[in-house]
Amino acid sequence: MATNSLSLPTSKPAPRTWSFSLRWTEILQHAYIIFCCIIFVLPFIALFQYSLQKSSIISLNNVIANYSYVFGSFKDNLITSLQVSALAIIINFLISFPAAYAIVRYTFPGKRFLLSLLSLSLYVPAVVLGFGLVLTYNFGHIFIGSIWGLVFAMAVGTYPLMLTPLIVALKDLPPSFEEAALCLGASRWQTITRIVLPLIGQGIAAGVLLSFIIIFNEYLVTLFVVGTAPGLTTASLRVFNLVRTAGLLNTTAALAATMQIISFVVVLVFFRIIGTRYLKGTYLI
Amino acid sequence: MSRVRLVNITKRFGNTTAVSDVNMDIAEGEFVTLLGPSGCGKTTTLRMIAGLVEPTEGKIYFDEQLVNPLPPNRRNIGFVFQTHSLFPHMNVTDNIGFGLSVKGEDKQKIAARVQEMLALIGLQGYEKRMPSELSGGQQQRVALARVLATNPRVLLFDEPLSALDRNLRDQLKYNILDLQRKTHKTAIYVTHDQSEAFAISDRIFVMNLGRVEQVGTQLDIYLHPQTEFVAEFIGSNNTLAGEVIQSSDGAGERQVSVQAGNLTIQCRDYLGLKTGDHVLAFIRPENIRVLDNASSNHYLNQVEGTVEKIVFEGSTVHFDARVQDTLLRVELAGTERLTILNREGARVRLGFDEVTLIRRN
Repeated sequence: MATNSLSLPTSKPAPRTWSFSLRWTEILQHAYIIFCCIIFVLPFIALFQYSLQKSSIISLNNVIANYSYVFGSFKDNLITSLQVSALAIIINFLISFPAAYAIVRYTFPGKRFLLSLLSLSLYVPAVVLGFGLVLTYNFGHIFIGSIWGLVFAMAVGTYPLMLTPLIVALKDLPPSFEEAALCLGASRWQTITRIVLPLIGQGIAAGVLLSFIIIFNEYLVTLFVVGTAPGLTTASLRVFNLVRTAGLLNTTAALAATMQIISFVVVLVFFRIIGTRYLKGTYLI
Repeated sequence: MSRVRLVNITKRFGNTTAVSDVNMDIAEGEFVTLLGPSGCGKTTTLRMIAGLVEPTEGKIYFDEQLVNPLPPNRRNIGFVFQTHSLFPHMNVTDNIGFGLSVKGEDKQKIAARVQEMLALIGLQGYEKRMPSELSGGQQQRVALARVLATNPRVLLFDEPLSALDRNLRDQLKYNILDLQRKTHKTAIYVTHDQSEAFAISDRIFVMNLGRVEQVGTQLDIYLHPQTEFVAEFIGSNNTLAGEVIQSSDGAGERQVSVQAGNLTIQCRDYLGLKTGDHVLAFIRPENIRVLDNASSNHYLNQVEGTVEKIVFEGSTVHFDARVQDTLLRVELAGTERLTILNREGARVRLGFDEVTLIRRN
């Protein structure tokens, strides 16, 4: 089309002209992203495919045979994992909420140092944490041989992941809501349960999500703390043990794939309902 | 319906003193305003009355009860915030009924009371709305209903209308006054807006830098300011610094002559001034008249000046008159105001009687 050099200025932007280099840049950008996605997703696809097979043959019988293990001998492991996760998350919340509230609503000396201290377990390697926990348990002669040792270990390890979203949520909450409730005659407890907690619900959900993902998939600290104690093997630890002793079995892959699916579903549901706002500041986002 | 007394109230934050030795005595059912610029300590004082902030020194009494040790939820007050106070996760009914439901009142009583409140603020039919679905004005009305529902003994307002636009403000302030009159509750209102304070208060506490500068009715503080700050903060004023050069008793009233720069001003003296005293002379722009030859004789002061910078504001016109070396702002209203237009640079004769004198150290 001929361009008129006397054309009047319009409010629409000039139409793009297809230059050779522009087109290729776009294609390369998209190709790169797709390539990265494939690289990242490849292990999961391989795992899932392996869990559908027996002797390299995919058939419905094989699928049922493999996954029946999940509901059979692996069932206890999954239940233990979910129990430990639930208990650790509850303990996390009960300790994090008062801490977050104090950090946000009050001033006291050494606040910054305290915050760094509380986030410590995020930056400490898992083996160091595990070693330290075992020493603590031996020293105190407590928690040995019961599920509470594992729960406590998980709580210590994921505490900052519950604390940070709660701090973000409380910072975002204008103090005038609590003040209004107090002036209307509500007690501190009523103010917290009826006003503060409902309004930071999304922050709590974010903390729960982060803690769950880490605890559910954790095996290294678990190995230290639990060892071979009976009845305390989580699903993660079971997979680790099986791979170490029996190699790459299809049934093991089925358990791993189940764990994978559970994690995916939880994260997808969370992002669908709440979004990424409260995950900023934690190392996962 | 409580009498509120503040005795020697002081609040210090570290090295800063936000409120300094404030004393107030507010009668039952009275509507008072704490008026002052940002940072003058009015909001801090209000929050101390509410119990949200603890005074560093001093005592607060509701009737004869010392309320210092009581937290806000035990003082039986109503506090209306500037913004962000309606609970966003509850609808209008639950918001209004909140104060009663935390006391464990039964559901029917609460529902009846909520209906009563909605009728009072004129929002019947809005029971199920969420706060985000209400306009700013409606939100503040619901906030008002919410505090009235618990039948508090003192109402506290922290600049409740500042976040709203002009027209809404003008309308809502009378709603607030109305409700206060109907319910006979003691009300303490904080604002930096003079016209708001003047429209609805019984008395006004003018505050500056943590202190109460003057207490009085609108007439008191406008016509008889007692400190330099009040004279300059309330309305507008021409400020002249000078010295008393002569005093006389004539016709039953004392008069003094004040030399301010090149100007000699005759003033009525209510302070018992002597020759040599340093004073500030305040002349309100609306008290200066433009004279034509006919009506000149009865003004105490008559001067000549050059007209500069005329501004037509609509219902008023103001201009600056250069009188010798002093610039005096003059404000005209009514039909007279149109006569000065287009006379920039002209020489005019000005006359004025009312001069407020305040001692200067």
